[in-house]
Amino acid sequence: MPNPITQDRRHFEDLAVGEVIDLGHTTVTRDMILTFAREFDPLPFHLDEKAAKASLLGGLASSGWQTGALSLRMLVDSFLGTVASAGGLGFSNLKWKNPVMVGDTIGGTVTIAELRRSSSHPQWGIMTLDFDVRNQKGQPVLTMRLANLIETRSAAA
Amino acid sequence: MTRWYEDIAIDEPFPLGSHTFSQDEIIRFATLYDPQYFHIDPQAARHSHFGGLIASGWHTVSVGHRKMVDALFAEENRLREEGLEPGVSGPSPGVNSMEFKVPVRPGDTVTYELVVTDKRASNSIPGWGLLFNRLTALNQRGELVYRAEIVGFSKRRDYRMPTKLRLLQALTKVPVIGALLQRGT
Repeated sequence: MPNPITQDRRHFEDLAVGEVIDLGHTTVTRDMILTFAREFDPLPFHLDEKAAKASLLGGLASSGWQTGALSLRMLVDSFLGTVASAGGLGFSNLKWKNPVMVGDTIGGTVTIAELRRSSSHPQWGIMTLDFDVRNQKGQPVLTMRLANLIETRSAAA
Repeated sequence: MTRWYEDIAIDEPFPLGSHTFSQDEIIRFATLYDPQYFHIDPQAARHSHFGGLIASGWHTVSVGHRKMVDALFAEENRLREEGLEPGVSGPSPGVNSMEFKVPVRPGDTVTYELVVTDKRASNSIPGWGLLFNRLTALNQRGELVYRAEIVGFSKRRDYRMPTKLRLLQALTKVPVIGALLQRGT
């Protein structure tokens, strides 16, 4: 039975390795950093300007988990919300390359690196996505490889 | 906060406590960061293969991070109460792997545990060490929710800067020489 939520979206068969998704941009405000840090990462260098200056980060910076979450949000808006996504499997090689400071604008690209059918569940494909997220100066802030399930139109290979 | 790099034991389980996920907080997090229909819309989520609403993996991981931070603060307080000076944890350079296994549904209670599987001195930042942390999250039925291999920085108590580096650092504080050295790098 087709999934009424995803039936008009792009499926596994409609995607190609090498497709590049433009993530658009997000500006990270002081308020966003403090709100996330209070709930999920209340370390002094994410909450307090003075402690942040004295830390390895050199100033008030977003939690790396927030940088990842904002990258994910940009991917949902630009891509995952338009395809028959069936959930994330995990990720590997996540690297926080440079801290994201107050007022920075982050954006970048995600490239479809691999597409394969699940051998145990042929109704799904597994797409592997490479993130390249940068700040407004073009410096890398986050890279990772995400594995996400996507529905196939037909379970026959 | 927490122990010094030198005092961190390999393979010692470090319980981080539990968290129960309400439907409201699942939707609140996902609305901000992962607004896919099976994370924000309980009715639409029924059509997904999950059969209902599930938490964003990024949400369960962010809560896991919070549990770790709370445990670091608790350790810091414990050491201070014993009259000891706690160590210093730094930011994380990255995550080697993160595997999402069983989804988290509204009302599920997830229990987190940390184990340091290895450590070594940092090559890039003198005076700091790298910790290789394994974080596991289990639900109330003992099923694996996720497993992560996370790298963290930890300050070395016994580190002594080599004379050459110390001399260089001292010279950068002399205005004229410092400016020359900065230009050279």
